[in-house]
Amino acid sequence: MRRRAGNAIGEPPVRMYHVSKSYMAGQYALHDVSFEVRRGEFLFLTGASGAGKTTLLELVFAAEEPSEGQILVLGRNVARLGAGAIPALRRRVGVVFQDFKLLEDRTVEENVRLALDVVGTPRRDARARVFGLLKSVGLQHRRFHHPLSLSGGEQQRVALARALVNEPEILLADEPTGNLDPELTIEIMDLIVKAATRGTTVIVATHDHSLIERYGKRVLRLEEGRIVEDIPAASGSIGASG
Amino acid sequence: MNRGLILISIAFANALRGIRSASTTSSLAVLTIAIVLVLVGSASLLVENMAGLLDEFGAELQLTAYLEPSMTEEELHLLAESVAAAPGVDHVDIVTRAEALARFEKIAGGSELLAGLDENPLPASLEIHLRPEARTAEALEILRSSLDGLPGIEELAQGQEWIEGYSRVVALARSGAFAISIVLGMAALLIVANTIRLAVYARRDELEILALVGASRTFVRVPFVLEGTIQGLLGGLLALCVIYGAYVLFLPQISFGLELVLGQAELRFFTTSEAIRLVASGGGLGLLGSITALVGGRT
Repeated sequence: MRRRAGNAIGEPPVRMYHVSKSYMAGQYALHDVSFEVRRGEFLFLTGASGAGKTTLLELVFAAEEPSEGQILVLGRNVARLGAGAIPALRRRVGVVFQDFKLLEDRTVEENVRLALDVVGTPRRDARARVFGLLKSVGLQHRRFHHPLSLSGGEQQRVALARALVNEPEILLADEPTGNLDPELTIEIMDLIVKAATRGTTVIVATHDHSLIERYGKRVLRLEEGRIVEDIPAASGSIGASG
Repeated sequence: MNRGLILISIAFANALRGIRSASTTSSLAVLTIAIVLVLVGSASLLVENMAGLLDEFGAELQLTAYLEPSMTEEELHLLAESVAAAPGVDHVDIVTRAEALARFEKIAGGSELLAGLDENPLPASLEIHLRPEARTAEALEILRSSLDGLPGIEELAQGQEWIEGYSRVVALARSGAFAISIVLGMAALLIVANTIRLAVYARRDELEILALVGASRTFVRVPFVLEGTIQGLLGGLLALCVIYGAYVLFLPQISFGLELVLGQAELRFFTTSEAIRLVASGGGLGLLGSITALVGGRT
């Protein structure tokens, strides 16, 4: 994986210090959250709906600003990032959502290529990289299809390919298997875990306890915006790191 | 290909995709710009033709000084020299009494009309030709007052007083066309701006995803600016075709009437640079409209 300027080797890619996020005075979506994630570590965020999982992920990719506290992502203080610096940060962070967020009028290849287009990757290089990544998620034969002709699992694999095509240092996934049946869930999770084994720091928000138990990774449990449990990864967990 | 060119080609591809995906609203924007430019272009073509006629007739504008019959030939030449030195005078032609009679006979088709008279009743005259800059009402007035005092001049006649009124009409038409251009241009600009706002709204999902994958504001906005500019250029091109079509179609039908009124004067079409300006002004409208839509927008 390429390393880019912004954080020193060994420095945790994600660090939060006493972070709170409030949308209304006195009501906190996140309250006094502090933690850090090591490079290549795999972290599950769990908790009931409204516990603050999505807000926490949004803070990491600078979709929201913290109301209090400091967030360091890849060595950059998110609270102090200017509007112009946010895109540069996001190119180093891949994001996957429950609802895939694919463009229906674009082919699979064009959807994945979007992340390369924004950095001006030459068309030939972009095609080669997209093909390689689609091959790794088993969708190279579907590259000229449109998302609506694909199954849910295939659409999520396309979204995952788009998130990974820029070789991000951090991968965030918000309920990535929420719309999938158990078989496809494992398929997608295996691909995400594989990304972590290549050195990408992965944070997955899920309320699916079977997944947490299956992979045995580090778990942060949130309740009403606070971290109530930080369970380290089980030794011999599925996947190499974390 | 370097990164900048790649980003420009991607922006163009995205702009064309935007136009294709919202073909109805895009077509309406193109049509609106075309209608505005047909009106503005036709008005400006009319004004330019009117101004052209003014120049043409203005070249023939002259003052005629009718002289006292008692003047000798020597006095006539001396007076002609003094008049030629007056402000705004290009040159002076002397028309002697004999020449005046010859002209009259030529126009009247013979000498029968004057056959009963003992002597030539026509006075000698000076035809005073003006410099181009002196072909205005003000300059003519100055010249007239400076000639008024000269001995030997019995009467000064302009002969083409209507030109003064006509030039006022041209100036009025030019101001009117300018005012109409501003009003219609603003209307077209707002329509393009609204088309682009609609396009931004229709593609909000795409913009959200672009933001997620780290697209800069420029990367997101430039395709919309290009989209507006392309729509404007297409509108300008369409307007040019419509005006040319109307010119070719209707000119032969009105040319006979025009000849009666204007003589040999011909109505002209836009020059190449004027045609380019018309199309470019469409592009400019589109560009400004899209910038108006994006300034302060959520993109």
